[in-house]
Amino acid sequence: MTVVKTSMRNFLAHKGRMALSAVAVLLSVAFVCGTLVFTDTMNTTFDKLFAVTSSDVTVAPKDAEAEDTPQNGVPESLPASTLEKIRSVDGVKSVEGAVVSMNVTVVDSDNDNVGATSGAPTLAGNWTKNDLRSMEITSGHAPRGPGETMVDSDTADKHDLKIGDELRTIAQTGDFKARIVGIASFTVTNPGAAVVYFDTATAQRELLGGADRFSQFNVTAATGVTDAQLKQSVSAALDGTFKIQTAKEASDEGREDVGEFMDVIKYAMLGFAGIAFLVGIFLIINTFSMLVAQRTREIGLMRAIGSSRRQVNRSVLVEAFLLGIVGSVLGVAAGVGIAVGLMKLMSAAGMNLSTDDLTIKTATPVTGLILGVVVTVLAAYLPARRAGKISPMAALRDAGTPADGKAGWIRGLIGLVLTGAGAAALLTAASADKASDGSMMLGAGIVLSLIGFVVIGPLLAGFVVRVISAVLLRAFGPVGRLAERNALRNPRRTGATGAALMIGLALVACLSVVGSSMVASATSELDKTVGADFIVQGNQRIVPQAEKAMTDTPGLEHVTRYKTLDATLTSPDGKTDDDGVTAADPTYAEDVRRVTTEGKLSAAYGTDAMSVGSDYAAKHGVHVGDTLSVAFKGGETAKLKVAAITSDDVAIDQGARYISIATMEKYLPAENVPPNTIMFAKAEDGRADQAYAALKKSLDAYPQYQVADQTDYKQELKDQIGQLLNMVYGLLALAIIVAVLGVVNTLALSVVERTREIGLMRAIGLSRRQLRRMIRMESVVIALFGALLGLGLGMGWGATAQKLLALEGLNVLDIPWPTIIGVFIGSAFVGLFAALVPAFRAGRMNVLNAIATE
Amino acid sequence: MTSAVSIPMHGSTGGRTAVAARARQVVKAYGSGETRVVALDHVDVDIARGQFTAIMGPSGSGKSTLMHCLAGLDTVTSGQIYLDETEITGLKDKKLTQLRRDRIGFIFQAFNLLPTLNAIENITLPMDIAGRKYDRAWLDRVVETVGLAGRLKHRPTQLSGGQQQRVAVARALAARPEIIFGDEPTGNLDSRAGAEVLGFLRRSVTELGQTIVMVTHDPVAASYADRVLYLADGRIVDEMHKPTAEAVLDRMKDFDARGRTS
Repeated sequence: MTVVKTSMRNFLAHKGRMALSAVAVLLSVAFVCGTLVFTDTMNTTFDKLFAVTSSDVTVAPKDAEAEDTPQNGVPESLPASTLEKIRSVDGVKSVEGAVVSMNVTVVDSDNDNVGATSGAPTLAGNWTKNDLRSMEITSGHAPRGPGETMVDSDTADKHDLKIGDELRTIAQTGDFKARIVGIASFTVTNPGAAVVYFDTATAQRELLGGADRFSQFNVTAATGVTDAQLKQSVSAALDGTFKIQTAKEASDEGREDVGEFMDVIKYAMLGFAGIAFLVGIFLIINTFSMLVAQRTREIGLMRAIGSSRRQVNRSVLVEAFLLGIVGSVLGVAAGVGIAVGLMKLMSAAGMNLSTDDLTIKTATPVTGLILGVVVTVLAAYLPARRAGKISPMAALRDAGTPADGKAGWIRGLIGLVLTGAGAAALLTAASADKASDGSMMLGAGIVLSLIGFVVIGPLLAGFVVRVISAVLLRAFGPVGRLAERNALRNPRRTGATGAALMIGLALVACLSVVGSSMVASATSELDKTVGADFIVQGNQRIVPQAEKAMTDTPGLEHVTRYKTLDATLTSPDGKTDDDGVTAADPTYAEDVRRVTTEGKLSAAYGTDAMSVGSDYAAKHGVHVGDTLSVAFKGGETAKLKVAAITSDDVAIDQGARYISIATMEKYLPAENVPPNTIMFAKAEDGRADQAYAALKKSLDAYPQYQVADQTDYKQELKDQIGQLLNMVYGLLALAIIVAVLGVVNTLALSVVERTREIGLMRAIGLSRRQLRRMIRMESVVIALFGALLGLGLGMGWGATAQKLLALEGLNVLDIPWPTIIGVFIGSAFVGLFAALVPAFRAGRMNVLNAIATE
Repeated sequence: MTSAVSIPMHGSTGGRTAVAARARQVVKAYGSGETRVVALDHVDVDIARGQFTAIMGPSGSGKSTLMHCLAGLDTVTSGQIYLDETEITGLKDKKLTQLRRDRIGFIFQAFNLLPTLNAIENITLPMDIAGRKYDRAWLDRVVETVGLAGRLKHRPTQLSGGQQQRVAVARALAARPEIIFGDEPTGNLDSRAGAEVLGFLRRSVTELGQTIVMVTHDPVAASYADRVLYLADGRIVDEMHKPTAEAVLDRMKDFDARGRTS
């Protein structure tokens, strides 16, 4: 009990010194709990949504996938006659045919897309009774005839739509206009979908391309009939060509799809929280090391009067435990705040989430608490062990600054071995022939070199700090020298503080190298291979009416259609795969130039000809002249002759098998031909600018498609990768913030530890300004040390990753020097910033008290 | 007797006054009302230039406070303190720091040296901070006087306690301050090492003309001084010129006895 009491007193006595460690624990725990609460809340929202949108039993076409429209762009449907069959089944109270399509774009009269953003679907369908379970009409009325539509209120609010406004719906089967006659509001949280409703006949005609068909049937059970019973009797009445689900099965299916996506988000965010934890560990280790060092005499006294090593050891761990509890409890609370913040952020991005659905499972605070406490206690273990080793003699020794920790040669050796192993793994990864082997090595290399650097950090600190100081600090004379010596006096502490910053910055450097290599590789490949002037694509496959608008554009030398087809290939050695083929116009050979290892690419666009990639050819021993069997989905099986083999040493269309559209048309009935995935165009000679403007104008009515010339396309690509990187940097900011707290923590505790020294310096004439500058410079040196190590390590990782990904077409290594140098200089400012408070407090110290401090 | 003003304002030492520092009606009080504690009670004192002055007194007599106030380390509640002709009471921190840096030297009881700097770096630190060029010949002489020539590259942890204090003495002397304050500079040393350090202080006064003020409770240490001031309850109660250890001890016994009977 005494142990707990002393620990408690120590903890309270030093709460100021523990504050930053607590904040580090708090931040990491908060991020973990925030992630959990946020994803759980999202899941709740979707669960509620699916629960009310699924009818008792749903009958849909066999192949219907909730999220996918079939390749021809028209939703799967069932004949209306099925309705009668279901109606006569025992236990059916009512049945209703529903039409729904996700392959639509809805635009207002200004041709602005009013559909969903943020990845949620835009749905068009008929207004059914089933919809009444999740929505209510808040103004106007349901659509009653052609030319009438109803939208959901979220969409109406977002795009300022009113009753009487005209909307145009762009479907695979054509465009059609309708005036808004009603607005319906969701009675549950709508996470972001945009919904437009029509009357059944209009929906059938315009969305499914014919009358008397439905996408699915919503069956309601009579009283006393369970969903399962109903499903059974409906199944018995129908043949096996239907997908029949109870409400539970349907909502489970939807939940599963969403759940997978949510899990990706969850684990990605938890990964970043993990990095923050890792960085926090350094901070906690430093704090406890410093507390133990400062308390050496006290601990010696405890030992002298009879405390056992274990008791001393345990007293430190109990303090860590208390710290963990305080940090975690606050962290759990802050985590809920973070979750709410994320939900608000999502709302800004167009995704509505309601705090009514806020879901805090028991597991969340429990996970947060356990994680926070365990990590804190583990981190404090080494310092605690060191405390246990303090000899009773320490009580008798003169109290000065604690003995400076020296980095031992054993540590150096271990660090060197680890770093060496890491470097070897990275080299192996860089020269790997197969991406899968290489990525294992890359992972091992990253982990080993990181640990190696952390272990060797204190030794490197001695060297690196001297170099940085020689360049930077010498200019500041004696104050610079004092700062340098202070940074060097405890290499272990400097090493750990720098290492914390190193981790975050290494990841930033690595990703920035990979990202900019991606842009550079893509740009260089585009320059090399793309001959087309314009590229048209969007998040809806190109509907025929848009294709026509494009083909009709004046000033174009040619327009290339490009379709991806589902097909099963059988090679001469009898192996099959479902990777499909690419059907394009022969002009595609000019639009995207491909190097062939055998044959000529243009020949692949001949009748009954095709090309395959070199990897496929090598794997299956295929040569020009061989015949492959291609079974088109929804069409016939064709025997196609290989006329060209394309080199797979590319990023664009790697492994694509080309056939001509003419060949495709021979084997695939028109109704099963899919819309274009992407289209290309070439301007007539010397008229590129006019053609670009004209093309943009023709596609004005189809805002879901982006028209880009090569320059814009590259820019878009760059922007996309830039956005992705920014998001990752944003998440890494957490780890970097914790690392900066670590620098502040080290400085603040050092200032306390050096109170007498500071007093002495002030007494013999060091001005406040000089003192503050000294602390700031120490901080800058530590930050730059961390940055240098991190950036070096990260660039190494990035370069290795690029070498490895060169196998996947990432051919160009591009080190983004402005970013790297920016981060380095930024780190100096981070150092200055971190020193603000410690320097201010040191400056404020009363000289006399400082001298008098024991 | 609350005054030790016994030196003529203008003495023999050329342009400068014969008084290196003086205190006039200095009061230092802590707290207020009931809990008010007066550490210095209207003290007047003159520190003669080129002399070795010792300040003695029992614990709590205010001797350290007096020294801290004279040295510009502590502020006074009322009264004035002059360093030569400069009034230091009321100076801002910046000016005070400069004054300490350029005109005052310090030797503390313990923890005099920065552990990160070696002996010579510690010695030149005040001048380095000031960005002042130092007089090489003088520095050599100081180093030689304190007998550290062979240990200049050593870090404080590699020096004995006596050697560390000698480095501190050298640092105080090296910048040629107008006045050096010592706060029990030999308090942590054994008698041999203490005698050595005191010997250097004595010699620096005699041979180099340095002014030194030293707080001590050790009669032997006080016997190295030219003049001893006795403090009790925040007042100067006595002074002695050309003291010997025995005389100082006797005088202190007197005070002790008086303290006990009163």
